Amino acid sequence: MAALTSGAPAAGSTDPAPAGPPAPPRVGADRARRAGRVALRVGAVLLRRALVLAALLAVVFAAVEILPGDAATASAERGDSAAAIAARREHLGLDRPLWERFTDWMTALPTGDLGTSARGEKVADLLRDPFPNTLALAGAAFALTIAASLALGCLAAARPGRRTDRVIGHTATTAFAIPDFVLATGLVLVLSLWTGWLPAVTVADASGKPAEWTMMIMPVLALAVPQTGWNTRIVRGALADQAGAPHVEAARLDGLSTTRVLLRHALPGALPVIATGIATSTGMLLGGAVVVETLFNYPGIGTVLAGAVAGRDTTLIAGSVALAGAAITLVLLAADLVRAKTAGAGR
Amino acid sequence: MSTPATSTDTAAARRRYARRALPLLPAALFLGAALAGPRLAPHTIDAPVTATYATAGDGALLGGDQLGRDVWSRLLHGGGELIGCAFLIGAAVTATAALLGCLAVLRPRAGRVLERTADVAILLPSVLGIMLVALAWPDGGRWAVITAAIVLGIPFAVRVVAAAAAPLAAAGYVEAALMRGESSLSITVRELLPNLRGTVTALFGLRFVEAVYIISTAAFLQIGPQPPEADWALMIRENAPGILLNPWAVLAPSAAVALLAITVNLATSAPAPAPRR
Repeated sequence: MAALTSGAPAAGSTDPAPAGPPAPPRVGADRARRAGRVALRVGAVLLRRALVLAALLAVVFAAVEILPGDAATASAERGDSAAAIAARREHLGLDRPLWERFTDWMTALPTGDLGTSARGEKVADLLRDPFPNTLALAGAAFALTIAASLALGCLAAARPGRRTDRVIGHTATTAFAIPDFVLATGLVLVLSLWTGWLPAVTVADASGKPAEWTMMIMPVLALAVPQTGWNTRIVRGALADQAGAPHVEAARLDGLSTTRVLLRHALPGALPVIATGIATSTGMLLGGAVVVETLFNYPGIGTVLAGAVAGRDTTLIAGSVALAGAAITLVLLAADLVRAKTAGAGR
Repeated sequence: MSTPATSTDTAAARRRYARRALPLLPAALFLGAALAGPRLAPHTIDAPVTATYATAGDGALLGGDQLGRDVWSRLLHGGGELIGCAFLIGAAVTATAALLGCLAVLRPRAGRVLERTADVAILLPSVLGIMLVALAWPDGGRWAVITAAIVLGIPFAVRVVAAAAAPLAAAGYVEAALMRGESSLSITVRELLPNLRGTVTALFGLRFVEAVYIISTAAFLQIGPQPPEADWALMIRENAPGILLNPWAVLAPSAAVALLAITVNLATSAPAPAPRR
């Protein structure tokens, strides 16, 4: 277990560590073999996630390629001659064979080079300032989602079948169904325009970050509430599955308090399912952030992408997909590790 | 052994049936109203009848929008296409996933391929995926959004069906059918799917809600329906600048989208969902 934690990259997993039994003293050789096995497993997980990310990038590149137009024609001024467009194409390197460009794009990605936008600017430069802002927004919403869905799920599971359980269940179902931009509109109307508590529009300061933290409250809420709805149901379901497990049953029959049974006996077993469920929310949060940002005028990639759609700038969108895919991969990796750790602790 | 049903039995059964049907009622009412809406609208969707962002009353029930068009009429017109598209996407994704999910269980090799596809799809936020497809197919309009939503939705849905079908594949009657040499399709349709009714119904509800989310989000980003059209998501975006002058121009379509998703979700959701992957 110790080897696994030290070998794992700190990929932002905020889940509480499962309360495993204290490790019994082991012989050195056994421990070394164990550590080797764990390292192998972590390596395999890392490799698999990296391959999956590469596959996504290949699909995105192919999607960009089957486009009717390319960056040269998309950025051409009205009245440009065919020769001028051909020159631009050569300048952007679009006349080279497909395979060569794909290899170049893929090998350049790890160095932080995301290619060139239709207007001839570096995609990495266009996304450098807004992407961290989007990550901050989605990250805050992610943290809130984890905390709220764990709390609500446990609260419901502590009173199975009672009114609290039913109310939380129905509220979660309802919250999950509301699209985030609809929720955002409602929040603006109530919290900003009618009561005047929060600023309706995000104003960026000189460094391009939101000027005040209160400007993040509504975007974060709009993103976190639907995802909390979904994940509360996952937490509740996973805890319900665990409630029937023999060791939980035994703990309950021993007369331990409900809270203790729930947190120390049922929750650790439910963590793998919960971690996987919450990790899949990352995509919804990042995608939702793009939409909510445009509504609040938040200085993230949403504004950049809206411009990219209007300007038919596919390289820019492909670059954003690559960044978002990498961020989601990290969270999924964290979920893999939570799962591996819980499985290891149970053995 | 079956016993003849007594009258108390049938009464209890009817009550049980009524209780099961109760969650369907709000969805049925709402869908009916939204689909019948265009016939009830007092005005056309593109004729200005009031001042810009006129407040409610004076001949326009919910006031006017940014061009002085009747919000109430546009609201009644704005749902049909959204509901139709969401239904189409939900049905297509559910049907494909039901077949592929069973295939994945019956043919482990195909199952592994589908698993990997889902792994890849999970890394692509649906909003970004739709932007990509909308750019790749600029003349596609609604159909580009529909295609993207179907393609992006299938991998998750296959996982849900496969997870539910896996225990069934080990059942004696499936093994017997396999021994008889029946085709995978025949086993899927005749042995597996009838036992997956609950999963498939819940899946359809979830996919419908997801489709409402995707279509309305795309419309909000101005991918799909274009300005003169009456569309709830488009109305929210167009009228946002006048939210203080006539809140109804934004509130009414917001409430409509939310109600559509919530009622359908309540109608089809099981108490505890299967994890998304």
